[in-house]
Amino acid sequence: MHKSHLVVAAVAAMLLVPAGASAQNYPPPGKPGGTGKTHGKGRTLTVCKKGCDYKRIQKAIDAASGKDTIKVKKGTYREGVHVIGKRYDGLKLIGDPKHPDRVVFNGKGLPKGPNQNAVIVNNADDVTVEGFHARNYKANCFFATNLQDYVLNHLVAERCGNYGIYAFNSKGGKMINSEAYYNPDSGFYVGQTPPQKGRKKRTLLKNLDSWGNVLGFSGTNVRYTTITKSRWFNNGAGIVPNVLTSEKFYPPTGNVISHNDVFWNNYNFYFGAPFKIPQISAADIPYPIGVGLLLYGSQDTVVEKNRISGNYLAGFAEVPAVHLAGNSDPKVAEAAILRDNTVRGNDFGAGNDLNGYDMAYDGSGSGNCFEDNTSRSPNMPAGTAAFPGCPGPNPNVEVAGALGQILANSLGDPKNPASFEAHWIKHPHPARKGVKPLEHYPG
Amino acid sequence: MTQLDRRDFLAAGGATAFLCTLGGQTFKVSSAADVARIDAAAAALPRPGQVTRGDPVDRMQFRTPGPQPGGRTREYWIGARTVTWDVAPSGKDEWMGRRVPSRRRRRLRAYVYQEWSAGFANPIRPARIPGPTLHAEVGYVLVIHFSNLDRKLKQAVTLHSHGVRYNPEYDGAYYGDFTRAGGFVAPGDEFTYVWEATPDSVGAWPYHDHGPNHTLNTLRGLFGAVIVREKGAPVPDVERVLFLHSFPPQVTGGDSLFQCVNGRSYAGNTPTIRARSGQRVALHVIGMDQNFHTFHIHGHRWQDSGGAFVDCPTLGPNETMTASFVEDNPGRWLYHCHVAPHMDSGMAGWYLVES
Repeated sequence: MHKSHLVVAAVAAMLLVPAGASAQNYPPPGKPGGTGKTHGKGRTLTVCKKGCDYKRIQKAIDAASGKDTIKVKKGTYREGVHVIGKRYDGLKLIGDPKHPDRVVFNGKGLPKGPNQNAVIVNNADDVTVEGFHARNYKANCFFATNLQDYVLNHLVAERCGNYGIYAFNSKGGKMINSEAYYNPDSGFYVGQTPPQKGRKKRTLLKNLDSWGNVLGFSGTNVRYTTITKSRWFNNGAGIVPNVLTSEKFYPPTGNVISHNDVFWNNYNFYFGAPFKIPQISAADIPYPIGVGLLLYGSQDTVVEKNRISGNYLAGFAEVPAVHLAGNSDPKVAEAAILRDNTVRGNDFGAGNDLNGYDMAYDGSGSGNCFEDNTSRSPNMPAGTAAFPGCPGPNPNVEVAGALGQILANSLGDPKNPASFEAHWIKHPHPARKGVKPLEHYPG
Repeated sequence: MTQLDRRDFLAAGGATAFLCTLGGQTFKVSSAADVARIDAAAAALPRPGQVTRGDPVDRMQFRTPGPQPGGRTREYWIGARTVTWDVAPSGKDEWMGRRVPSRRRRRLRAYVYQEWSAGFANPIRPARIPGPTLHAEVGYVLVIHFSNLDRKLKQAVTLHSHGVRYNPEYDGAYYGDFTRAGGFVAPGDEFTYVWEATPDSVGAWPYHDHGPNHTLNTLRGLFGAVIVREKGAPVPDVERVLFLHSFPPQVTGGDSLFQCVNGRSYAGNTPTIRARSGQRVALHVIGMDQNFHTFHIHGHRWQDSGGAFVDCPTLGPNETMTASFVEDNPGRWLYHCHVAPHMDSGMAGWYLVES
């Protein structure tokens, strides 16, 4: 086998590690959503330590129906709550939207079982969870699954076991005005979006801060999702839609990533982290560190008008799903291919905060195109052959050796954390108000 | 005996009831209360199920078209939502030099199409009437990502176009039990219409809501235009789309009737068009209410499709007339509908020509 093939195979193995492979006891995928309902006016139930209807949030949920609003007053709540079933369609669980830090879910030391997530919403549509800070849960901070039209607003997700704010097998929904940090998988995740023929519901991620996570955003087989006006910084990698056959509904398609600030995603957590460092088996190889935005096997995706800067490997990379390429199942093989992705109007190295490379793409697939991007660092490969204008050609022009080069630069060994930085091209970062670069955790 | 002034007379005249059919019921629309009842009925209308019975044509599957050789795909992201709309923001009628109804009387809840960036990430332009003008050349495919972004009226709307070619999947019209997905886009839903610009699509055409409550929502402002040119055809130096329409009292929620051009009434609020001598001018004028209108530009003539010179042609509901000429007559000019009650209630504007 040629060396380049070895590299491809190795990185293919790396990418076989599903985002969330270590997640525990998730409900099985169901059939999300109905047609949406209009709810009449319900009751308001209050929760606090003294003088409210309930002392525990779960007790209020148990007593509520979908028309109701549960208002949780300030305090620390040591419980994990679940909102499960259609009877909760339309429920509102409200803390303090202006000051989420005043209404805290703390999972530290809670026994296993139902307390793995601060909040899990399963099979209940139109549920709003708003104004909470969750930390220290074994699985996820906030988790919505098998539903449609959730609203996760004004939340802070800190140091949970997998994802910060997580939506799975769901149609539509919003993650907005929230922050996630120090999570050992991704800060925000949307995945296994059911295909929707004809009418569809779009998922919106907006006004988010995601930092200090292994990934800022991960989306395995994510569809119809818009990620916008958010900051993705100081993660191992910033935004990573990806394709895996371990989850349904591949490939990721119909997504838009626009108007984001994607910077300094060079957090080498293998040198130390405030979370449990992901354990990698001998057969697996972990994510690259130092990439702002990575499309791993996407189709019909728009990457538009983002500011992408200070990422030491590459600002943007577009890589076919090499571990699925040539699969005997034509549907799987098709999911590996990059098709009809548009990269336009992005500002690479904005503020003279340079990326290692601005864009990396091997020229594979069809209909992929690049226009009106501002570039300040070289692309990989050099030249314009791999980066045609729009509309993209069918097929694109594959550049020999480019894929091997891109993948080789991504390789690292967790037992040797410095190996993740071997191909970094470091430039000094201009100062930013309120944030400092995180490359090695200082704690 | 109570004396009516001209404005009151016109407003009273505009209060004429009309009929609206929705969900198997026919409503008389003579007041704001009637409108509220219709909106409630529209909000309660169930989403049509997939057609599994009836005529075989209703179960036909259609291929999504692509561009012709040499053509390309042009994408738009259009959201529909209601907004508070001031019919005459300046508060004046510059033509007659008078004040117009108070702000309270001229504000209404309009329904508009608004252009967004990809993925409905951000609105590209402020909400306005008409919606964005869509452009294509023959051989192009227009891909319209449409989302019902409204949270107030809670009813399904659509986007239905004239002029372009589409199969039934992309008709964008409510057909009762025979409705396909694009004919009922509920709040929070998104649908992608795919239309072909064919040789017989050349021209300017309206698009508008054709959902279950189309009569009211089109009156509220849910319309726009698509312009298709021959491949490589030059774009006129000055090109504008002018919708002639009205906000009746049932829509304004009071006793006011506004005759409008592009959602505004009275010169100084309606579009002021500017051109220079020697420029090629094309004004696409489209009727978008229940009335017939005429279109007159002072000091100008042009040829109709039959080659005859005209300066005040008639156009009916959803009909387009294009005034195309080379400018040769500088000065301040008025354009207006020549139906007197229409022009006197605001359907007029300025055309300013520099030498």
